Amino acid sequence: MNTSAEELREPVRVLNFPRHTFVSLLVFAAVWQVLSYLAPVLGIPPFAIPSLVRIAKSIATITPIDVVVTLARVLGALIASFVFGIALAMAMYRSVPLEKYLHPIIRLFMAVPVVSWILFAVLWFPGVEFRIGFVLVVVCGPVFLVDTLDAMRSVPRELRHMMQSFRPTVWQYFIKLMLPAIVPTIFTSWKVNISLAIRVVTIAELVGAVTGIGHQLSVAQELFSVADVFAWTIVLVVLLFLLEAVVARVEAHLLRWRA
Amino acid sequence: MSVPPPIEVRGLRKIFRQTTTGQSVIAIDRLDLTIAPREVVAIVGQTGCGKSTFFDLMIGLEAPTEGSIRIGDKTPHGDFDHFRGRIATVFQQDRLLPWRSALDNAKLPLELLGMAEDEQRKRALTWLKRLGLGSFTNAFPHELSGGMRQRVAIARAFVVQPDILLADEAFGHLDEVTAAELRETFLALARECGSTAILITHQLEEAISVGDRVVVFGKSAKLLADIHVAQWPKTKYALLREVIQSTLQSNKPDPRLKKIGSKTPRKKTLRS
Repeated sequence: MNTSAEELREPVRVLNFPRHTFVSLLVFAAVWQVLSYLAPVLGIPPFAIPSLVRIAKSIATITPIDVVVTLARVLGALIASFVFGIALAMAMYRSVPLEKYLHPIIRLFMAVPVVSWILFAVLWFPGVEFRIGFVLVVVCGPVFLVDTLDAMRSVPRELRHMMQSFRPTVWQYFIKLMLPAIVPTIFTSWKVNISLAIRVVTIAELVGAVTGIGHQLSVAQELFSVADVFAWTIVLVVLLFLLEAVVARVEAHLLRWRA
Repeated sequence: MSVPPPIEVRGLRKIFRQTTTGQSVIAIDRLDLTIAPREVVAIVGQTGCGKSTFFDLMIGLEAPTEGSIRIGDKTPHGDFDHFRGRIATVFQQDRLLPWRSALDNAKLPLELLGMAEDEQRKRALTWLKRLGLGSFTNAFPHELSGGMRQRVAIARAFVVQPDILLADEAFGHLDEVTAAELRETFLALARECGSTAILITHQLEEAISVGDRVVVFGKSAKLLADIHVAQWPKTKYALLREVIQSTLQSNKPDPRLKKIGSKTPRKKTLRS
């Protein structure tokens, strides 16, 4: 009976070797290498499926500054979108008229294709950084907003009732109840938006930017260097996985109460 | 230990408009009730009789449609902030915040009061230990049994040493042994703190064993009976239970109650 909570708690698994991922990637790489050998036999131009060695050589020439610039754009825009989304969601949660007026506009924003936003940005704004930031915020912000608002509405009535019975201030109500309650949804939004932002930033950088992974992809395409396109794509994918891994680690730490 | 103010309920009415049909539903219809300081009152009634509405009005989350609830010279809805730390609640389900440990849940009301962190911790630990949870202060709610979680909820209510304690079916979902044990603990702590306690229940045994008074609500919280349990000898509890049951079923006071009455001397009661 006197077992303490620490004894009851299952030990946290720190790191598991991702055996299945490793095997599937290895098989994929092997198939790719075989295809690159067989390309001429299959009537495919050799440059279309470059060998792994060729891709590795391209990766070795990658300029880290472009990776850093893209990463900075993604993180900056995601943080701005997150702050904007949370703040507006809280305001809309508190004010029904505001929610009723803003909801159709948010829906409209979410329905506009990314390419249209990029074109609008090019037409409206002269600065490249502002254009990219605008596109990212206008695409990712509504996702944070809608998810946060839904999560706030889904906080169980019983918990809201309990909290109100202790007579918190409006600020305490948000900080002690609503914010922790929506943390799981916030992490899901971050994971969705990281993937979305990586894809959007690449397209946005294709138009007008002179730095970043999107720009380098555009250069590789102009030079007809498929190996470089693959190399930059791999960098993007690795970047995405790394960001997701960071979010997953923070999530596991903050949501350890769900273990 | 300060004496909690008396509770005066006068002509209390609460009418809800149903969102689907647009019709008005009278949840509470002209209720008059007086509760003395430090009294333990059990309110019994059938499902849908207005007990929970009365609970919400007592907390101050709902405003009366007509009439008033006065606690001293204040009203729980109108003077909402005045009662911060003065009214505490224990609900049917524990309603612990799942992301907080037992200790953090227990000190929640103290955080809302803006008490110093050291004092919060000291007080919450004291109450958790008193409720037998000294080894589980760092446990999250999902790591605790139903009874243990309800103990944390009780600690959370007592930690502010409130003037008024409200419990809504607080032990109804627990097994009999745990419920009886927690009921006794709750009552002992309420008496020790000198709090006025109002327990809403549908279990007659619980009402009789806990309350100084048992208040019987009919439909729309019509006051069917107000029984002073002390006037009944323990040997007559079975009869008392039968009388309350009959009152609830017929939605009118059982004639035996009228004969006995709350102010009827014990001898008469026994004879009846």
